[in-house]
Amino acid sequence: MTSSAGSLLSLNNLGKRFGSLQALEGVSLDVRAGSVQCLLGENGAGKSTLCNLIFGVYEPSEGDMVFDGAAWAPESPAVALEKGIAMVHQHFSLVPRMTVVENLMLGQVRGVLKRHEFGARIRDIAENFGFTLDPDAVVGELSVGERQRAEIVKCLMRDPKLLVLDEPTAVLPPGEIGALLDICRRVADSGRAVILVTHKLAEIAKVADRVAVLRTGRLVADESMAEADMGALVHAMVGRELRPLDVALAETDEDVEASEAPKGFALVCDGLTVHDRHGAVRLDNFTLEIRPGEIVGLAGVEGNGQSELGMVLAGLLRPTEGHFYIAGNDLTHAGAAAVTAAGGGIVPEDRHAVACVTAMSVAENMFLNKLDRFTRFGLLQRGALNAAAQKQMQEFDVRAAGPEVAFSGLSGGNQQKAVLARELTLDPLVALVAAQPTRGLDVSAVEAVYRQIRAAARRGVGVLLISSELDELLAVADRVAVLYRGRLVGERPAEMNERGAIGALMSGQVA
Amino acid sequence: MEEMLAVFIASTLRLAMPLMLAASGELVSERAGVLNLSLEGMMLTAAFFGALGSWASGNPYLGVACAILASVVVSAVQAWLSVNLRANQLVVGIGFNILALGATTLLYRIIFGGLSREEIPGLPKLAVKGLSDLPFAGTAFFQQSVIVYVGLALIVLIWAMLNHTSFGLAVRAVGDEPRSADKAGIPVAATRWKAVLITGFMAGFAGAFISIADIHTFTENMTNGAGYLALAAVIFGGWNVGRTIAACLLFGAATALQFQLPAMGIHVPTAFLLMLPYLLALLAVAGVVGRLEPPTSLTLPFQRGK
Repeated sequence: MTSSAGSLLSLNNLGKRFGSLQALEGVSLDVRAGSVQCLLGENGAGKSTLCNLIFGVYEPSEGDMVFDGAAWAPESPAVALEKGIAMVHQHFSLVPRMTVVENLMLGQVRGVLKRHEFGARIRDIAENFGFTLDPDAVVGELSVGERQRAEIVKCLMRDPKLLVLDEPTAVLPPGEIGALLDICRRVADSGRAVILVTHKLAEIAKVADRVAVLRTGRLVADESMAEADMGALVHAMVGRELRPLDVALAETDEDVEASEAPKGFALVCDGLTVHDRHGAVRLDNFTLEIRPGEIVGLAGVEGNGQSELGMVLAGLLRPTEGHFYIAGNDLTHAGAAAVTAAGGGIVPEDRHAVACVTAMSVAENMFLNKLDRFTRFGLLQRGALNAAAQKQMQEFDVRAAGPEVAFSGLSGGNQQKAVLARELTLDPLVALVAAQPTRGLDVSAVEAVYRQIRAAARRGVGVLLISSELDELLAVADRVAVLYRGRLVGERPAEMNERGAIGALMSGQVA
Repeated sequence: MEEMLAVFIASTLRLAMPLMLAASGELVSERAGVLNLSLEGMMLTAAFFGALGSWASGNPYLGVACAILASVVVSAVQAWLSVNLRANQLVVGIGFNILALGATTLLYRIIFGGLSREEIPGLPKLAVKGLSDLPFAGTAFFQQSVIVYVGLALIVLIWAMLNHTSFGLAVRAVGDEPRSADKAGIPVAATRWKAVLITGFMAGFAGAFISIADIHTFTENMTNGAGYLALAAVIFGGWNVGRTIAACLLFGAATALQFQLPAMGIHVPTAFLLMLPYLLALLAVAGVVGRLEPPTSLTLPFQRGK
């Protein structure tokens, strides 16, 4: 074990395996007291795993850590907290219906509540770090930024030596980011260390002292912010490695060219805008036109409006402004059934909650939107249904013991293939919206899903493919549009040498 | 006229008392996220065992103790089913109510015989010295059964506990966001258990009030929906102690009118007056009168990591 002079936390050759997956490997990093350390990386690069190792959620598989001059191996977050490491999680842990002071007292005090006394402490701490926080405000009525500040005060009350913030800017509207960074600076200036986890480099640049970049579990850059070159950092973050997927997909690449664009658009989004219930803009004037036979990839780090767009196009969410059209029909306020009837196939992002009814059989799920075809005198004709399902299962390679087994018993890949089969066999099928269709699937299932999507495009279906896997988009799509903070910030041809430019757009840098 | 008003207030308070006791107890449990539809059953069980204990021992205070014990046992089973086994709280509650009605009726017939109206030793009325002779307030407020004064004190205690102690904070947190509470180091299951036991304790008091303090006997199904009215009062009261008590008093007053109006020579069909408190409860629950949000996790079991 070694610890460099002046460093508060040292990671030495740290690694973490989950089963056969190597989530982190050989990470060595020094975090100094009084500094802001930025930790950069794409989704799945291992940032959260690293934080969870530091915070005692997981135990490292290899390597060791030194914190504050002693070996660091916290057995739980509670121990980590006690010994001086606090973490603000991406998902807040406050009770919305209680006040700030009540939330911060929860689990911290015993007996009769002294709201005034505790509230004064909250005010003091907030003031110390240059912001204000009303202890008597009800949390549910606060803005996201204020809630985050309440979480930060909750951490600071424990007087930590190291404060870890996991994707703190992901939830914030642009106006509140500056204030957060000021707080981070002040926390560092008070002699503590701050680790800022993010995938949005541009926002963090002005506050970070050092920046480390993680890619597929390895540390690929670790430098002082003053000397760092932004372009090189972005390249380090998104720099690509060849994966088996690309080879498999490249084989069929030629066929896509065959389709030509008939008249009219399959799917048109015109100025779609969505405000959430707190009034924050989740989707901002989104305009995109997709021709029949075209596959448009929508890239972007998750949480930049993709979910909202998917919900709107599925007919499950009414946009605040704007319209969308499938084959020229305005379906903005028509609802999910009308979208299906107009030829809009939807593969939802949330496979379990939205795409299927896991307690029902495979056959029932595969024909969920066409059950009336198998109904006679109000009764479901199970024999016919199962026979049709059996045929479709073969066609789409859905592997299950039979059409009557419960959907929940299928693997993720087979579930997704079944959902895809259902949507792709719509008649007519004009447009397909597939949101994160390969999430959690293994390589062979990913390949099968994309083969089906491309076959549909060849038949003249316009496809909107929403994914945070840039490599997959580049391999499958014709062009790639980038969503950032709910806005379409740019569009590029889907070519490998555009990867850096698209990555820059995704991380919030203007092209 | 003034005398009549004083009597009306006194009987309102007397009739609202079991509702107030049961509702304030139920409030604690619902704020922790557990709905005890079995409140009616708890009260009926308590009323029966209270009467039995008082009759067998000759001591009404021992009767009250028996009532509370019986009700707490029922609530412990409810807590085990709802918190540990994560059973559907509505189904469990309805099951309990049917069971309690059947069991108390059966035991009553075995022990007391078919149509007995055996008087049981009841609690004394406590005329508060110096106050009970006051011209108006004396009649209205200070000639009540001992249990009324104790009950009122308990309700104030519950209010203080919910709003001004760390336990109250924990109760509210596990009822709204058990996951957040868990992260803050609050033992969710233990907190819910305690809350349900408090409901049992208060329902026991309420049942004892009906059989021992008020009517001085046990009759089949003698709670006659009081538990349901108390549940309605909690909803009407928006899960707030003060408003819930006000709702109970309103239901009590509606019941008191049944006796008061004919005495004043005003003739309204008795059936309508009998219906009045339930009608009010229905309107209240339907949200006709300012609906408020229930605790976010009411009836939702908690399991870490799910």
